Amino acid sequence: MISQLDRDLTELQQAAAASAARHRRIADFGWPPGVRIAVNFTLDFDSMLLRRLLNEPPMQLAKGEFGGRVGIWRLIELFDSHKVRATIFTPGRACELYPQAIRAAVKSGHEIADHMWEHRVPQEASLEEDHLAKTVAAIEQISGRRPVGTRSGHSAPLLRKYGYIYRSEGSADQLPHYVVDEGGENCLVHLPFHYVIDDAMFFNFAWLGSENAAQRITDPEHVFDIWWAAFRQQYRESGYLNICMHPFVSGRALRVAMVDRLITRMKTLPGVWFPSCEEVARWCLEKSLPPAQAA
Amino acid sequence: MPWKERYTISDEKSLADDDIRWPQGARCCVGVTVDLSLAAGPDGIRAADLKTPEAEFGANQGLSALLAVLKRYDLKATFAVPAVLAHIHADQIRALAAEGHEIAAHGFKHEDVSALDRDDEGARIVRATEIIGEVTGRRPEGWFSLPRQGDPFAGGTISANTMDLLIEAGYAYMGNGLADDIPHYWVTDFTSRRAILTLPYYYHFDDQFFLMFPRKGTGLEHPDALFKNWKAEFDAQYKRGRHFHMTLHPHHIGWCNRLQLLDDFLSYLRGFPALWNPTGAECARYWLETYPPSSHLHLEPSIWRDYPGSLS
Repeated sequence: MISQLDRDLTELQQAAAASAARHRRIADFGWPPGVRIAVNFTLDFDSMLLRRLLNEPPMQLAKGEFGGRVGIWRLIELFDSHKVRATIFTPGRACELYPQAIRAAVKSGHEIADHMWEHRVPQEASLEEDHLAKTVAAIEQISGRRPVGTRSGHSAPLLRKYGYIYRSEGSADQLPHYVVDEGGENCLVHLPFHYVIDDAMFFNFAWLGSENAAQRITDPEHVFDIWWAAFRQQYRESGYLNICMHPFVSGRALRVAMVDRLITRMKTLPGVWFPSCEEVARWCLEKSLPPAQAA
Repeated sequence: MPWKERYTISDEKSLADDDIRWPQGARCCVGVTVDLSLAAGPDGIRAADLKTPEAEFGANQGLSALLAVLKRYDLKATFAVPAVLAHIHADQIRALAAEGHEIAAHGFKHEDVSALDRDDEGARIVRATEIIGEVTGRRPEGWFSLPRQGDPFAGGTISANTMDLLIEAGYAYMGNGLADDIPHYWVTDFTSRRAILTLPYYYHFDDQFFLMFPRKGTGLEHPDALFKNWKAEFDAQYKRGRHFHMTLHPHHIGWCNRLQLLDDFLSYLRGFPALWNPTGAECARYWLETYPPSSHLHLEPSIWRDYPGSLS
């Protein structure tokens, strides 16, 4: 009994130490002169791909399709009107579904980053690489540039092999930080993403298979208040915010209006920077050499 | 693969705000759908559902109260009526039609058709259409497949054949689509451009998802969120010159606190000039004339390709 408890103790201690060793804070983190906070607006351009992948019924496809036919256009227009550079995490296949919208985003100077080939990371290593290579090719073909960032669980060695420098998933720290793989290598800048600043958590019915009693039937004012509070706190800390939106959710007219008010209010304060995720990642890499290897 | 079948139901880009015109220079279209269904789940309306106090309230006091509010604000609604209810409440349905509201079909008994074979579903559409036609004296022009409170997705359940069967049955429009916030074309065959006009619906403007949701007794009441959603969407769509719609259930919205909420919202709407409040059929007629698919449905050759190891 005692020896089993000791084994548990060792195992859990090792797990915690291994995880801690992978996460590296950036010492003396700071923004470029004059910048108090960086706010990334990121779009997960799933449209109906995820719905299709999960074999959801026909009306769900139509719901996702709102994002491609309507929502993405409005959000591009909104960001352009505020001179905000957004990052659009795009499944590779979305380049075949909505080429016009993606070209428009590129033309406006927004970043097109990776959101998997068809919104999944295959288990099998060779197929995973095949999917990543297809996404890189599709995004390069449509935007003229290879993606350098991802919102996915693709493996770090593979991402580094294809020249990626950042990942935006998870929230181990409020600030951008470095994460290395289990071997202490293949460092990526991590741009923290949190469900509290993800529109789908508040507005989307049946998100991630949630039951009816757990539905998000929130109104935009409520979410405005939460997001503004998040911004205010990080502004005081001279921190960072990565607001994740889905065009089929936030592209609805009532929410575009809310995000418009939010950006307008953020801009009333001095030192608010609205760069792309790539700009934030490059700033981190420039400021402090990552562990293991320079990107 | 032709076009992007099973990935998309329409063309690549919606109509821009500036390209939308409503009759008589109206600024925004306001559509009101009243859903008379009492179905809670995939079986549709069961005998037990008709014996509840809610059924009694929805068919009588709740409905009268709702009609009185609509009348006060001079609004016409499209009633989505399951054929069995049209049969049961024939006199009331005729009275609604006589007041200028539209009577549209809402399934035979608002059952989930997604697993039915084509012939079975087609026969149900034909029978439901006949029943409503017999009650009102005219064929319904619109068909709805609205969601039920107990559904796992809040979009309404249709099968892969529903839209095609509605075209076959001669329907002018389908009343609840989610791919746009204005009328749009749901394409059933991209090669022949076979399509049906679809009116916009979104569950954030449907009372049943805010009022004792997901079910009476244990659900939560969020009338404030419903009101704020209606208002925020109306404000935004009015500004854009697009379309606003709301979906109401007499047994939900007819109850005291909610009725006041509806009254307050409609009172807010009355402050805006140049609103057009058509029934679904009037809206569909206008749209089909002004934005016919021959000139406004932009289907381009598919660039979709099949790859090994990927979704086809």
